[in-house]
Amino acid sequence: MADAPPVFEIQHVSKRFDATQALEDVSLTLHPGEVHALIGENGAGKSTLIKIMTGVHPPDTGTLLIDGTPRRIGNSQEAQSLGVAAIYQEPMVFPDLNVAENIFISHRNRGLLVHWGQLYREAEAILAQLDVHLDVRMPARGLTLAAQQAVEIAKAISLHVRVLIMDEPTASLSAHEVDQLFRIIESLRRQGVAILFIGHRMEEVFQIADRITVLRDGRLISSRLRASAAELPRQREQVIREMVGREVGDFFAKSAVPRGPLLLAVRDFGKTGVFSGVHFEIHQGEVLGFAGLIGARRTDVGLALFGVEPADQGTVELAGNRVRIHSPEQAVRLGIAYVTEDRRGLGLTLPMSIATNITLPTLRRYLSTLGLVRRREEQQTAEEYRGRLMIRTPSVDLEVGKLSGGNQQKVMLSKWLNAQPRLLILDEPTRGIDVRAKAEVHHIVSDLAAQGLAILLISSDLPEVLAMSDRVLVMREGRQMGIFSRSEATQERVMTAAMGQHDPISQAVQR
Amino acid sequence: MQLRWKFVQRWEGLLALLLAVIVLYNAVSTPGYLTVNNWVNLFQLSIEKIIVALIMTFIIINAEIDLSVASVMGFSACMAGFLYAGGMPMEGALGVALLAGVAAGLFNSFWIGVVGLPSLVVTLSGLIGYRGLAYVLLEDRSIGSFPDWFNRLGQQPWLGPFPFAMLVFFVLLVFAIIILQYSGFGRYVFVIGNNQAVARYSGVRVQRTKMILFVVSSTLAALAGLLYAARLGAVRGDMANGFELDIITMVLLGGVSIFGGTGSLWGVLLSVLIILNLRNGMGLANFSGHVQTGVIGALLILSVLVPNLAATVRARWSQRRLRSRPAAEPGR
Repeated sequence: MADAPPVFEIQHVSKRFDATQALEDVSLTLHPGEVHALIGENGAGKSTLIKIMTGVHPPDTGTLLIDGTPRRIGNSQEAQSLGVAAIYQEPMVFPDLNVAENIFISHRNRGLLVHWGQLYREAEAILAQLDVHLDVRMPARGLTLAAQQAVEIAKAISLHVRVLIMDEPTASLSAHEVDQLFRIIESLRRQGVAILFIGHRMEEVFQIADRITVLRDGRLISSRLRASAAELPRQREQVIREMVGREVGDFFAKSAVPRGPLLLAVRDFGKTGVFSGVHFEIHQGEVLGFAGLIGARRTDVGLALFGVEPADQGTVELAGNRVRIHSPEQAVRLGIAYVTEDRRGLGLTLPMSIATNITLPTLRRYLSTLGLVRRREEQQTAEEYRGRLMIRTPSVDLEVGKLSGGNQQKVMLSKWLNAQPRLLILDEPTRGIDVRAKAEVHHIVSDLAAQGLAILLISSDLPEVLAMSDRVLVMREGRQMGIFSRSEATQERVMTAAMGQHDPISQAVQR
Repeated sequence: MQLRWKFVQRWEGLLALLLAVIVLYNAVSTPGYLTVNNWVNLFQLSIEKIIVALIMTFIIINAEIDLSVASVMGFSACMAGFLYAGGMPMEGALGVALLAGVAAGLFNSFWIGVVGLPSLVVTLSGLIGYRGLAYVLLEDRSIGSFPDWFNRLGQQPWLGPFPFAMLVFFVLLVFAIIILQYSGFGRYVFVIGNNQAVARYSGVRVQRTKMILFVVSSTLAALAGLLYAARLGAVRGDMANGFELDIITMVLLGGVSIFGGTGSLWGVLLSVLIILNLRNGMGLANFSGHVQTGVIGALLILSVLVPNLAATVRARWSQRRLRSRPAAEPGR
């Protein structure tokens, strides 16, 4: 299929934002039926390229060709009518509309009245074509992220998509859901859709892509066909080197730390209708991983411990004292910190400065007797963390929203480390950040454990959980499936438990 | 060049420019315009609204709204009049009226902070309810003949050329600026206005902050109502009717985002000065009050439009600059 004439060509495109050269002389060709992976660290220019392809930004220089004809794409509607569509890691469905309505949301020429029967039949046909089983009459609200993505893909198909851009579609998916998504991609490939796949997880990229292109600092570094199976490991190393521009040794580094005293004992913890029977202990210096598929309710356990959505069953003992945690404010006072998975929605106020964000939970420490903020001390703290966590920014007065994802993540970590917690709950701490920032976060976590913090690590990145955790607790649909020690925890065993299969060993360990 | 544009691109800069133009025009066309007395007069005619605009700035930055302020003004003034007419000494009546304002604030903040209802709805019922209470107290009576000291408070200069209400305003302004721009509480107000969930997930006591704001809002509104009564020398059930919209206009025109999170008291101060001088100038030029209101409405739309427009224009320019640059120039 790759021999077919290109459907979309990007020729010598450059784009500059103020002081940043986001893209420089980038050329890329998409063929029908080809999965073209685009990889690079955050800030490499991937997002800018997508925005240029979908008409959000015009290029400064360079040309876009569709079917060999130069085109101006002025906005996303124009992109859509040319058959170019994009889906993002956070699907954009309307929760109150049903699946079929979401699929046909962009169709404006369907007449004054809705022919519901026809709408549902067409929606079902599209989903069947993708081999996705969904009730088209179901509201989108209850759908899993993966199902929402399927709806978005169906939406693109309904618009006769010829070039589908997928921006980190797997970032929020569990392994099982990734497999499903890949089956959908396969069927799109067979139908001759050109796919631009932006990914962070190497295994996935090398599994799905026909061609792999590396961007770094706005420049195209390399573009190559995927190697044969035998050559694959070497190609992978090569690609990673090209991405970061330097050798990457160990991605994961949880150093062995002697177990400290017991910090937290959670017994029969539960919240009606959400999760139940969660039962574990964490010692100081220990990392307890929380593995499971999306929807396993791991985040809800974190939120209950942090007092955002308090639990109503079971007991919590913190350093030997029975506690009832009913508000985040109280949790902070008890020395519990929760680093959310939703950086932009719940973690940081993006229009405000780095320093402001870092001192937010601990602002009281920075107030004079009159209640005024001591800016200089605030700045000092921010500078300290900027150095300690290597936050790459020209100034701590910069708006957090202007930082890359990895650096935002570090600001969020700084914010909570500054609260000097005893228990640190990390919810998907490396989601959507680049390889280098990821490795840095792993080092930070390892260091924190070595300093005696107890860490609860919720992560859907299975290799990450396994490498970073001393023990792994597996959840499925609000229930604890088992706790595995480091030596017991293999990908297969954790996955089996997460998917609800019985495993004799996990049963034995559970109590 | 660069600097001057930055200044104009900020809404406050535009406001200052506009104010300068209006003041200049008025000064040239009207002799005696630039006298202290004229300006004190200008201020005095809207001073109660301006006082309430201070706390409204906090509330709107916090991404909330208080529609009940004007009704609380009327309610507290009527309460004072009612008690005074019933034989209570004026001092006592004022004290109770102020407490009635506090109570109204507690009532609002209970529904907003504890129950979690939207402030728009709660204070809309407040707007209706407190006005209703004012009418219940006085029906269609008008109560006047307050003690002399009370009338003097509202009508005569107190310190130099300044009447009492203006002094109250200056003191409150200083406090408001310090609290909003420099204190921890002000920081919370901005953060909550920006993203309430982030504040909550950071252990900030969101509901408590809101409740404080709404109690202070009603208390200041009650105070403003009493000052208004002193200036008029009489109270009636319909006094201060509709003031809430003028107050909100002052705040929004000052560049405070209706969505919360951004704004400054300097901007609000500038917008107050613009509204006052514009009305004054247009009044002197024989435009009717309705035309004046229309012009202020148009300004309000501009206040939303212009910053967006400025951003678009800026983006265009930077692009054109880029295009005109030689392509070979290295990046960064």
